[in-house]
Amino acid sequence: MTIIGTLAYCILGTLLLCVAAEDEEPQIGVDDSLWYPYDETLVLKPLPNNDLLVSFSFQLQSEPFNPAISSMSFDAYEHYTTFPRAIPPLLESTGTRQFHLRFTRGFWDALSWGQLPHAGKQAGASGVELWSQVQATDQEQAFLNWKKLANSLSGLFCSSLNFIDESRTTFPRQSYVSDIVSPLFNDTEKLYLMRASLPNEPICTENLTPFIKLLPTRGKSGLTSLLDGHKLFDSLWNSISLDIATVCPEDEGSLCHYEMEAHVEMVAHVPSALARNERPIPKPLDGNTLRCDTEKPFDSYQCFPLPEPSEAHFKLSQLFARPINNGNLFANRPTRICADVDGSTWTAFLSVNDTIFSTHDNCFDLSNDQNESDIGYDFILESTDTTRVTPIVPVPIHVSRSLTGNGQDRGGMRIVFHNDKDTAVKLIYFESLPWFMRVYLSSLQITSTISPQLQENDVILDKYYLQAADRLRPAHLELTMLIPANADIVMTYQFDKALLQFAEYPPDANHGFEIDAAVITVLSLESSSALYELRTSTLLLSLSTPDFSMPYNVIILTSTIMGLIFGMLYNLMVKRMVTVEEADKITFQSGLKYKLLKLKEKFLKNKKTKTD
Amino acid sequence: MSNANLRKWVGFCFIAIYIFVGIPLWYKLTTVYRAPLPVKYIESLQKNKFQDIHLVIPVYVRSDTYRFPDIHDAIQVQVNHLLNSQEQQIPWSLQVLPYNESMQQANSEDNQFHVVTLVLDDFIGYSSAYDTKETIVYYDDAAVLSNDLPFFVAQTLVEHTFQLEWTHLNKTHESATTNNNVAISYDPNIHLSITLLSGDGNPVAWEIEPTLTDYFSPFRKLLSPLVNLTVDSSIVYHNDLNLHSLNGSYSNVTWFDLSHTIDLSELSSMTYYPEDSALNLAVVFPSASSTPDGLAFINGTRISDGLSALDWNSYLVPQWGVIIINKMPLKPNSVISEDYLEPMMYRFASDIFQLLGLTEGSQDLLSPYITIDSFKRLTTLQNLDKSVETLWSLVKLTQQFQGMSIPHEVSDNVLEALDLRFQIIDLLNDPGKGGDMVWNNALHLSNELVKLCETAFFNGEMVQQNFFPQEHMIAVYLPLLGPISAVMFFGFYNVMKEKDHKNEKNGIEREVTEEKLELKEAQNLHAIDGENEL
Repeated sequence: MTIIGTLAYCILGTLLLCVAAEDEEPQIGVDDSLWYPYDETLVLKPLPNNDLLVSFSFQLQSEPFNPAISSMSFDAYEHYTTFPRAIPPLLESTGTRQFHLRFTRGFWDALSWGQLPHAGKQAGASGVELWSQVQATDQEQAFLNWKKLANSLSGLFCSSLNFIDESRTTFPRQSYVSDIVSPLFNDTEKLYLMRASLPNEPICTENLTPFIKLLPTRGKSGLTSLLDGHKLFDSLWNSISLDIATVCPEDEGSLCHYEMEAHVEMVAHVPSALARNERPIPKPLDGNTLRCDTEKPFDSYQCFPLPEPSEAHFKLSQLFARPINNGNLFANRPTRICADVDGSTWTAFLSVNDTIFSTHDNCFDLSNDQNESDIGYDFILESTDTTRVTPIVPVPIHVSRSLTGNGQDRGGMRIVFHNDKDTAVKLIYFESLPWFMRVYLSSLQITSTISPQLQENDVILDKYYLQAADRLRPAHLELTMLIPANADIVMTYQFDKALLQFAEYPPDANHGFEIDAAVITVLSLESSSALYELRTSTLLLSLSTPDFSMPYNVIILTSTIMGLIFGMLYNLMVKRMVTVEEADKITFQSGLKYKLLKLKEKFLKNKKTKTD
Repeated sequence: MSNANLRKWVGFCFIAIYIFVGIPLWYKLTTVYRAPLPVKYIESLQKNKFQDIHLVIPVYVRSDTYRFPDIHDAIQVQVNHLLNSQEQQIPWSLQVLPYNESMQQANSEDNQFHVVTLVLDDFIGYSSAYDTKETIVYYDDAAVLSNDLPFFVAQTLVEHTFQLEWTHLNKTHESATTNNNVAISYDPNIHLSITLLSGDGNPVAWEIEPTLTDYFSPFRKLLSPLVNLTVDSSIVYHNDLNLHSLNGSYSNVTWFDLSHTIDLSELSSMTYYPEDSALNLAVVFPSASSTPDGLAFINGTRISDGLSALDWNSYLVPQWGVIIINKMPLKPNSVISEDYLEPMMYRFASDIFQLLGLTEGSQDLLSPYITIDSFKRLTTLQNLDKSVETLWSLVKLTQQFQGMSIPHEVSDNVLEALDLRFQIIDLLNDPGKGGDMVWNNALHLSNELVKLCETAFFNGEMVQQNFFPQEHMIAVYLPLLGPISAVMFFGFYNVMKEKDHKNEKNGIEREVTEEKLELKEAQNLHAIDGENEL
């Protein structure tokens, strides 16, 4: 038995996992040229009014895979090195070829800060925005995949993306065109582009933490060690973006890979951020520390504040409350930190173990060697005049959108396009409106400040409108427009406000309903390629909201009235009718007086009998 | 009163309409749809789950040297005797048949049968083939003369070849259906996630692709009739599962300390698998910064006698997977070779059998084909048990919540599941020639059955608690029905009471008249005292 057992054991060993009796020790070798595709950069750009734009960007690439091989095949193994393991199974199970996720909060002051970073292509509308290209046989299947994707991302990023349903999803036609062409793995299927946004989603630490966990440095080394929710979200404007795309390069044959691009951006007001370090709990300053304009009336009771100081000296560790813990250690390109500053007044330094370095182009590569002293890297920015910053690139167009009208049954929308350039601007205006805003497209009017003769057709080159269906889809408006040079174009239209069903009102319905931001894609006049993207602010629409205890009140009131009416009718039919005399008699006979009389009579009768 | 009867009739009509029209109508309009379920049948199934099952496994006897024309009958008698000696929880038996030429043609690689080959040798013994479902019984001439061969073959078959059935299907076994603590619950698709964890952020690589292709692909193929494994591997930096906190003063760290320290949360969350169950292998290297001299409590693993101790220990985490903790941290830019990973894979593969419930404890799998074949049957039975339990839970749930709606699909699913159950039982009770195809088919159907029962149980309309509770209904209707009922019933009571009232009134009137008559009489007689005096 033992011999046979050992024999079987050996055969098992041969087939399963051959443990050859080798003499040499198992080895762990060293390969100095080992690196993985990962790239991280930090750019600091001072803005006017002592604001500072901090841009983190991370780029990753997955291991190549062959889409033709099923994961069920005995030889199919998926390998992950730096690319997050959570993403590819999600893409595979939903047929998603690319998706783009944006978490944005705050107001981008385009007048003083100029263009958005990355020409606005990495910034979303306020709240959370998701769009993706999904491969499916038909639109219904595509929507199911999209819903599954949104639900999974909701779990992954602890956000409310699971609230994305058909009434929030649009299929954009010209907007949201990606630079990356998605591959189609099955020729019988098609790619569907879907988009949804949740404008009232609060963006917070619980969204940032999973985001950091997706990156291979996991907040422990490299630039991610700076990312701290308390500092990131305590800013004027912040944005987290994640773009995943499937790429099948032609030179790699049938192999494809996933690419991930992640950005974290924020604009902080530096004096406030530094003051927060000194006084975590805001309280009034002492009188002697107030900066008062002494040329104006000034005493113990009056103080006209001076403008903010124009000199600055601050460290990155002061803004983020921690230093950079090493560079990223596994990429061929070291972690890079750059300062985009005006060289005449600003200086940037990298501090390593109390030694300070500076470079000509203000860009620093963090070496991959382990930093022995554990102090980490720090970055210092100094300025003699903070008002001088690198030239601000003006935005191609300013768009503002507002609600008009009063009352709770109808309203209007007014969109102002302000072009202060000497050339016309071609753009795509994309708007997704909830079904409870019933738009009258016939009321769409274009007016201009320059020429009253301007016709709608001169401005709107192409119009696409998909009417909303109650609870099934939002209204989808996509306009290709040409805004003349140096002109203000005002577009208005009217809408009715629908009544919602009782259970459709969200908690705190009196707060109002957030309306998605409009997306404006500025196109090149010649090639029609996208040059710049911007989003308007979201709007707050107030709908008539019921008193939520009303149904029960109504039930009780109506029931009472019905009970009363029924009671009267019933009594009329069932109760005995008597004449007034009879009624008086009965009343007389059933009264107390009658009973007393009876008692007296009885008493008298008894007395009489006794005397007898 | 002339209209008293009429009024009574009116009152009565109201009550009659209330009771005979109103209440049924109200009930009809407010009641939720409850599709009929075969409650009685499911209850009887639950009480005696294997009432209609008698598992039959055909076994073919082949003898090359001697021809025994009636050996199969003799073995059958012995097998029956052996099986009857034990009380069975789920009845099962072996059907011993002679091996003939037609069998040889049908016996292909994909559709193997249980075969017993009798081989004449110098000693008596048996062996199970590694890669087929064949049991070889060695016998000598003495055994033939003393007619011990049938008994010996029967014993080999029952106690060794079908050892799993023998132990799991008898009454003394705890339960053939409950899982042990280590194994995960059976699922036809299981994801296997292999992770290399490094406590530092330095780049590391491992030759995982060749290792997996060489050693794991055959293993996946072997298990494929039972479970489909999908495998991925990944490298995770800056995560040593919290091991650095263990490297304190004490060197003798027990499994108890480990289980309290190790943090698997990051490996288990932030993942998305399309499969329902997943198993993990985590190969951990400690951090060089916190443990430059390695983990003191790792004292190495010895795979076989010929090899020196390896620098890692392996730990089985019940229902999760295996953790392999390496003693020394990795140097920067390390490349872990296939040679280093081999023994780990071997250990992991044998642990997978345990995690899947194929073996218990650390026993080795001697004849995997036979074991997997038995496991298919046991899993089929287990799935039958599970599905009946699910149906019973469904029945209990619907009985518990009388106000809960039962959609039509649920009842359809239940009926379909019961049909499928019959199909499976037919296969088990009468497996034809008993080839692999039959058992694969039974397993496949039983997986479908489990899924179907779960679909019935987890019907969205039913379990999402969106039924209308009885109390709510009363609260909404009471303001209307309360006053109307009160008015009607009290009115009816009054109108019925009127007769007595009238009688009483008549009595009073009679009394008054009598008194008046008396008074008149007295006046006539001038008999009232004191009148004259006055």
